Amino acid sequence: MSINPNNPLSVLKSHLHATYAAAALLLATGSLAQAADLNALIWCDHADPALLQPFEEANGIKVNVKEFEGTGAGMAIVEQSQPGDWDVMVIDSIDIPRGVEKGLFEPLPEDKLPFADLFPQVKMDGSTVAGKRYGITEKFGYNTIGYNKTKVDPADMQSMAALTGDKYKGKIAIYDYYLPVIGIAALAIGKKTAELTEADLPAIKDELLKMKANAKLVGEVTASQTALATGEVDILVGGGEWVTAGLAKENPALDFSIPKEGAVLWSQSLAMFKDSENKELALKFIQYIMSPEGQARLATSSCYWGMPANAKAALSDEQKKILRFDEQPDFLARAQSYPAPNADLDKKMQDVWTEMLQAQ
Amino acid sequence: MRALVRIASWLYALAVYGFIFLPVVVLVLFSLQATSFPIPPFTGPSLRWYDAVLADTRLTSALVNSLLVAALSSAVAVTLGFLSAWGFARFTLLGSALLRGLITLPLTVSYLIIGMGLLVLFNWAGVPKSLLAAGIGHVVINLPLCFAIIYSQMGDHQINIERAARDLGAPEWKVLLLVTVPVMAPAIFAGFFLSMTFSWDEFVISFLLTRFDTTLPVEIWNLLRSGLNPKTNAVGSLVFAVSIVLVVFFELMLLRRKPA
Amino acid sequence: MNPATNSGRALPWALVTPALGWTLLFFVLPFLAMGFSSLTAHDGSGFTLSNYSQFFANPAYWQAMVNSLQVTAIVTLVSVLLAYPFAWILAEQVPERWQRLALMLAVLPFWTSYVVRSYSWLLVLAQNGVINRALTGSGLFTEPVQLANTRLATITGFVHFFVMLLTLTIFANLKQLSPSYRKAAADLGAGPVRTFLHVVLPLTLPGIMVGAFLTFVLCIGDYITPQILGGNNELLMPQLVMMQIGRRGDFPLASALSIILMAVVTVAYLACARRLKIERA
Repeated sequence: MSINPNNPLSVLKSHLHATYAAAALLLATGSLAQAADLNALIWCDHADPALLQPFEEANGIKVNVKEFEGTGAGMAIVEQSQPGDWDVMVIDSIDIPRGVEKGLFEPLPEDKLPFADLFPQVKMDGSTVAGKRYGITEKFGYNTIGYNKTKVDPADMQSMAALTGDKYKGKIAIYDYYLPVIGIAALAIGKKTAELTEADLPAIKDELLKMKANAKLVGEVTASQTALATGEVDILVGGGEWVTAGLAKENPALDFSIPKEGAVLWSQSLAMFKDSENKELALKFIQYIMSPEGQARLATSSCYWGMPANAKAALSDEQKKILRFDEQPDFLARAQSYPAPNADLDKKMQDVWTEMLQAQ
Repeated sequence: MRALVRIASWLYALAVYGFIFLPVVVLVLFSLQATSFPIPPFTGPSLRWYDAVLADTRLTSALVNSLLVAALSSAVAVTLGFLSAWGFARFTLLGSALLRGLITLPLTVSYLIIGMGLLVLFNWAGVPKSLLAAGIGHVVINLPLCFAIIYSQMGDHQINIERAARDLGAPEWKVLLLVTVPVMAPAIFAGFFLSMTFSWDEFVISFLLTRFDTTLPVEIWNLLRSGLNPKTNAVGSLVFAVSIVLVVFFELMLLRRKPA
Repeated sequence: MNPATNSGRALPWALVTPALGWTLLFFVLPFLAMGFSSLTAHDGSGFTLSNYSQFFANPAYWQAMVNSLQVTAIVTLVSVLLAYPFAWILAEQVPERWQRLALMLAVLPFWTSYVVRSYSWLLVLAQNGVINRALTGSGLFTEPVQLANTRLATITGFVHFFVMLLTLTIFANLKQLSPSYRKAAADLGAGPVRTFLHVVLPLTLPGIMVGAFLTFVLCIGDYITPQILGGNNELLMPQLVMMQIGRRGDFPLASALSIILMAVVTVAYLACARRLKIERA
């Protein structure tokens, strides 16, 4: 926020600042006491006690977590914090350079992390800045079509045309996150997700509106999972192993396909903050998450499942089967990257999304 | 005719009771579900989800946080509300009506907007998010309520007793503590109780203003986002039970005071 | 009221200043900060009116306000219409000694946590939920009806809460009526219906207005209920505000939307201000 020194509010602010500073000091004493803890800005899969507790117990510390969704919101949280408030962050792999541009992240020591064991397609060699790696991919998967194979014809799920046709009208849910689903809409009309511009938005919007007309609901992670698992809908646009795998026990009929148009590859990375006062612990945490055990726990986290980035993850055969571990080379070859708009296009995409939500 | 009205009344009342209790019954019933989805068919009874809730330290510490925030913010709200109500009722102050209007103004504003305002201000002043910040917001929403309740109960009766005490030579603080507070106790109590209720159940302000340690409604919201889960039913039923115990407790306290 | 002046002018101000100060510091000032923020650009490039102009220029944005007003109006109306007869039955038809218990029962679910209440309705209304099971099980319907994830679900969740709230306020109102009014009306030859229409209803109208206004304020600012029950098939204003914060951290736009929302509530307040008596006259 830019502040004009002649603005009366700014003058008011300077007077009040002393008062608030005193209050802030008071409030800060609470957080200072936790200086030895690790403060992590995360996605919901990292909040699973089964993942965090072994690390907390081994190091005798507490991991404080704050969940967020979307890089924009995550960056906003960081910008509103004091330097040193955060130690590590989970972020969309493609957005790592954005964080580096803002001067947020610390280069990772390549020799101390298992980069060599990662699936090569998700190593993100393109995201290095000046030859340095600022993030390590920890988990990935696909935003594609999730469905109940006892209720729909799996053959139909090989084409995105099924999403806008009449056959499954009212049996569809849309995952409520604009980037991947805009990516899917782009694939459906034959565009490359990596090359989207503002000029593509009208056509994408039309495609989204057609999907919306077929959809019963547009739901966040939970709402869409639940809708699929309980039979509220039979198809989830934007779904993938992250929906079907975790629910495989309750509902083994759930499956996902990578249709002929392709799918959107999502991939999340861990990054360390440059201003962290706890870099040693932060590195330990990243090492733990990237270890075969950590990877297995993260891949099967209670919030959502996903493919571990480390091919050596200690998954059981059954878990591998649920995640379709062996089919990954084919999936990866056909998947396209997650849309990575700049701030301006991002806002426009979100407006398109808002319009889609409001359409009746 | 009269009988007809009676029957219609009973039917109507039963229907409304049914509507009011339907979600609660479903909530509690499926908290005893043995399988992972809280929808029919019923597979219980089982207490496994209650075990899961009690073993979840995030939930249990959020419960403690909620009680703390509710008790402390209500204490502050009722104290400030009482003092100002007393001030306005006993003295003629310049611009009294306007100032009273100012104190009650937050009653007309959505919690979302109060929370947003505090969030913007705290960001701007560099105050970190915390339970204390949420507590400050809870005082903002409860202070006008306490003030309005207590102010509306202050009457000539109480002024007269106070004057009698003062005429007998009691200093101002003694009048306040030994006469006004006891006379006003029911209103003070009602204000505190209502504040506790609102704070205990408040979501959006806590959601916007807390960071790691948070209140129970926010933690339940987080839980909800991790899936449709009988655990949410279990924690909801537990909160319900705790609330009922508190209500009955307060009700008994009030009833005991009545005859005096 | 007789002012007591023996303790000078310092004491009264000392009594009211903490409450006034709190309100100024944590209510008025945040509001000003929000107003200031709403006039800045998200990218920090100075002052702009674009946060407001966006709202009016984009139909998807102001549609959220239209949706909010529609839902709130329906909820307020339906809740009052459901609650009034109920409160009347509790106050007039239920024997005196059972009234307290009857009222307690009527507001008991009030004490389930607010987030959980909406969630419970989701369970009730789901495709495979209790209602749909009952409907298909009884043979009335062959296919489940879509109840969850609709505007109807949002309204049901809201009405459930506000019926309880309004029952409380209207009941209190009815009990405050002196029986002598009714007796006077009867003595003048009015039947029960006319007594109700010409005496009871007008006298309880101010109380209804207070309750309705409270419903309006609480309903229009609520995020949880539409978010859980509406299935995002449409957006209401609070959802639009939270989206700006949650997705993009766009505080200026969220501030502008909040201020627009507040302006609408203020207009509603002024519209019924004459009938409102929030504090003692």
